[in-house]
Amino acid sequence: MLSWSAQATDTPVELRAVVDPRVDPLLPGGRELVGFVDSVLAVPDPAAARAVVEQRGEAALVTAASVIANFQMMNIVADATGIPVDNGSRLRNADIIAELGLARFDHLETEAT
Amino acid sequence: MIAEARSARGGLDPTGGLDAVTTRAVRTVAARPAAIRPDWVSQLLDDGLDHPRYVELVAVVSRAVAIDTLLEALALEPEPLPDPLGGEPSGDIDRRARPGKAWVPMVGGGSITQALSLVPPENAELETLHGPLYLTFEEMSDPAIHKDGLTRPQMELVAARTSARNSCFY
Repeated sequence: MLSWSAQATDTPVELRAVVDPRVDPLLPGGRELVGFVDSVLAVPDPAAARAVVEQRGEAALVTAASVIANFQMMNIVADATGIPVDNGSRLRNADIIAELGLARFDHLETEAT
Repeated sequence: MIAEARSARGGLDPTGGLDAVTTRAVRTVAARPAAIRPDWVSQLLDDGLDHPRYVELVAVVSRAVAIDTLLEALALEPEPLPDPLGGEPSGDIDRRARPGKAWVPMVGGGSITQALSLVPPENAELETLHGPLYLTFEEMSDPAIHKDGLTRPQMELVAARTSARNSCFY
């Protein structure tokens, strides 16, 4: 969805930032948003929330917190029910899966071809 | 179950408020969902937890984790839990749900939006919370949508980083 929405809106984005916080995502406030996610889910850092507010404003902080919360929910639902990633999607996104090393997360059974 | 989920996410010992199988299920779903495998789900079923109860458990725990995460992210206190209501479970399940490629029966072809469809009220609650937290299922088809300070690509960066942090392939 990141790649798709960026392409559709002619927005430059560096996808490697998803798996490597040292990489600049190229989006306005992108580094701060990644830092905020890491602060919420890994190492708490009050400065991370302040950085988002300074860069994008208080409303953006609340939206970012809400999106994190939503994907906590959706990740649990997907992982706990074993929602399959179909082969068409795997093929369409094969380059992204390879570039970002996402196969290491794949505990879902690959569809029979 | 929400108290048990909070205990697991906080690294605390089990509360003792649930039976052993439900305790095991809640704690893993809440704190280590990426570790779940089909044989783990099968073992829960062998140990007495049926599919509708497992789906309901996943639904309740996932929503509770979402709300708790939102409050944690905004440095707010967790919501106090209400007293449990009495009465019997509704038993409201969708008889059209069938086993498929996912690990639980569902209606339709294994879409995330139908993941909890075996228990319709839980699937409805998922969609009810999904809208205000992120986007409605209908809004998701708009790549240019803005929401309160963030563009769609900025929202998706947050979503993708969250999923990467959670080691969620889907």
